[in-house]
Amino acid sequence: MLFYTPNRMTRPIRLSEKTRQFAYDSLNHKYGIETREHNAVSLDEIDIEIYQKMSPLMRYDTAIFQIVSKAPLRICDGERISGAATLGLAIDHRVPATYGGVKIFSSVSHLTVDFETVVKKGINHIRKEAEISLEKHRGTEKEDFLKSCLHCLNCFDIWHKRYLDALADRPEYRANYENLKRVPMEPAASFYEAVQSIWFTFAFLRLCGNWPGIGRIDCLLGEYLKNDLQKGIVTLDEAREILAHFFIKGCEWVAGGDYVSGDAQHYQNILLGGIDENGCDVTNEVTYLVLDILEELGISDFPTSVRLNQNTDEKLLRRVAEVMRYGGGMLAVYNEDKVIEALQKDGYELSEARRFANDGCWEVQVPGKTFFMYLPFDSLHILQKNTLNGYEAGVDYPTFESLYQRYIADLKRAVEALVQVRVEKCNTRNEKGEWVWESLTPCTVISLFERGCIEKGCSYFEGGPIYNIISPHIGGLADTVNSLYAIKKLVFEEQRLTLPEFMRVLKNDWEGEEPLRQYVLTHYSYYGNDNEEVDRLAARLLDDFADICAELNGKCGYRFPAGVSTFGRQLEWIPQRASSPHGRKKGEILAGNSSPTPGTDREGATAIIRSYCNADLSRLTTGAALDLKLLPSAVEGEDGLSALMALMRGFVILGGFFMQLDVADVSVLRDAQEHPEDYQTLSVRVSGWNARFVTLSREWQNMIIEQTER
Amino acid sequence: MELTVTDIQRFCMHDGPGVRTTVFLKGCGMRCQWCHNPETQKGKPELLFYAQKCILCGACAAVCPNRVHTVEDGNHMLLRDKCKNCGACASVCPTKALEISGTKYSSEELLSIVERDRPFFGNAGGVTLSGGEPFLQKDGAIELLRLCRLHGLNTAVETCGYFDPDVLNAAVPYTNLFLWDIKDTDSARHQKYTGVPNEPILNNLERANRLGARIRLRCILVNGVNTDDIHYRRVAELANRLSNCEGVELIPYHAYGGSKATFLGRPDNGKNEWIPTANQLGTAKQILFDQGVKVL
Repeated sequence: MLFYTPNRMTRPIRLSEKTRQFAYDSLNHKYGIETREHNAVSLDEIDIEIYQKMSPLMRYDTAIFQIVSKAPLRICDGERISGAATLGLAIDHRVPATYGGVKIFSSVSHLTVDFETVVKKGINHIRKEAEISLEKHRGTEKEDFLKSCLHCLNCFDIWHKRYLDALADRPEYRANYENLKRVPMEPAASFYEAVQSIWFTFAFLRLCGNWPGIGRIDCLLGEYLKNDLQKGIVTLDEAREILAHFFIKGCEWVAGGDYVSGDAQHYQNILLGGIDENGCDVTNEVTYLVLDILEELGISDFPTSVRLNQNTDEKLLRRVAEVMRYGGGMLAVYNEDKVIEALQKDGYELSEARRFANDGCWEVQVPGKTFFMYLPFDSLHILQKNTLNGYEAGVDYPTFESLYQRYIADLKRAVEALVQVRVEKCNTRNEKGEWVWESLTPCTVISLFERGCIEKGCSYFEGGPIYNIISPHIGGLADTVNSLYAIKKLVFEEQRLTLPEFMRVLKNDWEGEEPLRQYVLTHYSYYGNDNEEVDRLAARLLDDFADICAELNGKCGYRFPAGVSTFGRQLEWIPQRASSPHGRKKGEILAGNSSPTPGTDREGATAIIRSYCNADLSRLTTGAALDLKLLPSAVEGEDGLSALMALMRGFVILGGFFMQLDVADVSVLRDAQEHPEDYQTLSVRVSGWNARFVTLSREWQNMIIEQTER
Repeated sequence: MELTVTDIQRFCMHDGPGVRTTVFLKGCGMRCQWCHNPETQKGKPELLFYAQKCILCGACAAVCPNRVHTVEDGNHMLLRDKCKNCGACASVCPTKALEISGTKYSSEELLSIVERDRPFFGNAGGVTLSGGEPFLQKDGAIELLRLCRLHGLNTAVETCGYFDPDVLNAAVPYTNLFLWDIKDTDSARHQKYTGVPNEPILNNLERANRLGARIRLRCILVNGVNTDDIHYRRVAELANRLSNCEGVELIPYHAYGGSKATFLGRPDNGKNEWIPTANQLGTAKQILFDQGVKVL
């Protein structure tokens, strides 16, 4: 029973043989295959005439009732906590219900819900709040939504009861039964109950099709464990076993999916460490237990990030480096100093900023209070198509500055258009011309766990949450910067050819111009090499982009903070991209997130981090991710640990935002392409998520290899 | 003060403690047959030619004032005897198949370059001067070490030990750690394989030790040359005699540096039979360990 490692190190063993077996079986698809046999519940029993008269909310409520009543229950051999999301359509990001064979509703992701209230106050507390709000809003248009809230809470009860009944029949699950009896309806009283409470609520949300993140699990559980250890109710080893079952059950969707971008992409991120709203370090025993579990089992389904700061304890940093060395991209790091600064700049109170988690991927948000959506776009395409007019004849600019200014104007138009389309989809204008929320897809289940929704009587999609964020995300950053830089050097400084001449070269995809292309590729030092000239250009572009986004605020109920990402879209953007001024031909895989263009970084990891940190990342509120791949040989031994720690320390000191360090070996990845059967559990960091490498499509695999080859 | 540099490598993990920026200085008094960095032997700039990068565009031939390059029939020929290392060809070569090894930097420029990675150095890391033999550019090297120490950077020097003994008085106070090569403890063999006897090196080592230098010995293991027990015992004696020695690093010879000689137009000096066996490495470790020496 071996859990994959990319190097010669073997993973330590701390968990019981039974738990390890459960992990091994789960990773190897023992559970979850059956989700495809019962993809969804059907509402076909409802007469078509009645169905057509039902409001979307009524249909939704009926679907949820059918789901909780009919979804198969799954109790895995030897599981310590219970509850499972067993309907296949949920894995496709849908509410698993159909009418006439047609899927009815989409579902919600990119958020971390309010597990704090669940664990500490219980579902019944939420029910009371909903009842109070319903009384307050009786007779208004909000009544229907609040009734739907109470209905969905009742549905949660039904499902809970079904599990209790099923467990009661099985004496070997007596402990599970006793533990599930009070939670999540009542506040958790012990560590074991708290873990079950979060898991069961998470499973319920996923059963209904949603993909929430978990958030700061050590914050949620730390006090419970501390108390239980003091009282002698639980030992550290016992607590590790219980928590391990949470992680093992979290890979229940591994087997059921049909994947392109990897099998573990269900936005179920976890955060560790960092400070609380009062500025105190939250790191506790749970933090270290999670790291133990990741290190031993290599489960990558909960992509985990650690919040670092200038004062991060050496002990934690070392432990993080130790776990990172096993690869699989299981751990990433935030520089919370920068993230908190960014959120404050965007208007959040300091205490609120300090509570940040992510959206289940890596975009930053205040958990349990935030509607979040990001709008990705390809900045390189705008340069090529608009500013340089598809390299058609007639493109000319007298100076580099005039070209740059034109590009920023084009960028502004593109971002505004993108936002306009999105906002119009969710909002309408009233007679006074103001934007008002319009009810969209019903999403009551998720709304129960987002503060603001019940109080206001508005769903997650209708402006219910306290913060409502639509974040434009610039993609293709490095390539746009490198393209601009190449034009600046070649045409305006060295004057090797005129801009119209250069446009002809690019229009012909560098055909017959190999020496010039090679010159541009090898003689210029691009983003990622700690070259101040090009890094300043990147910083300027990001500043201008952040300004464009800031100007969008105040016109409707959303805020529009900026971010940087591609999340692998560099693949789908290939067909729309022409050849690039920095020596790239049409069809090449270009840069991801805030990382350099593959093949251009020659100065090593520290130079990449310095280039990335050169911009004022505090203006990119929802995040800017740097992906760094290291060779297994580079992280071996004590030197390897020092290297990882040094990179993380430098990243924090220099003002980075988010960094995904992965350990991978190109030759291993290539071998895995040829012999997938030998690498079932080899996992890699894709972007905000991890994936078993063999479940990625060939194109995605090639992209990972390209990134690793740098 | 100017220094001639062949390379500056950042994020080095094996050139002293922690993360380091290593500056390779050009010029060495020894001519080790197995030399991994032959471009650092001569003090003057030299032209490197990477044939596999050449796209036969002929740009070099067009600009060379000395007619060093001929590109015809799919071949790029170099007449190195005529080359004055002016660098005209390298500046126009689109693929950097031609490159001048040996760039001049002032010590202040080098300081500002190594400063860049300070956030990554932590308590242990810093700057390493390597080469070549750094102390062949003694004034520049000492000035750079002094500047680095003045700015609170940890300094290490990778040395072959073959240099003017007077350097040490000035260098030791500015050097946190010497990584001191002991190629062979047998002087005749040393002469045969490196071109110089080992006595000046050992004398310098004693002298550095008397001046209070902190030293780590680095011993290359070359199969069939110095892989014998007597050598290991002598290394152990040496390590034990030094008053401030951290231990010994054993560096097995590897062949993949050999092809670098071809970039200078010389025959490949790599030999697979020089690679030591795992057993030889084990024996060396054991003997050093038995003599109470820490193997790093």
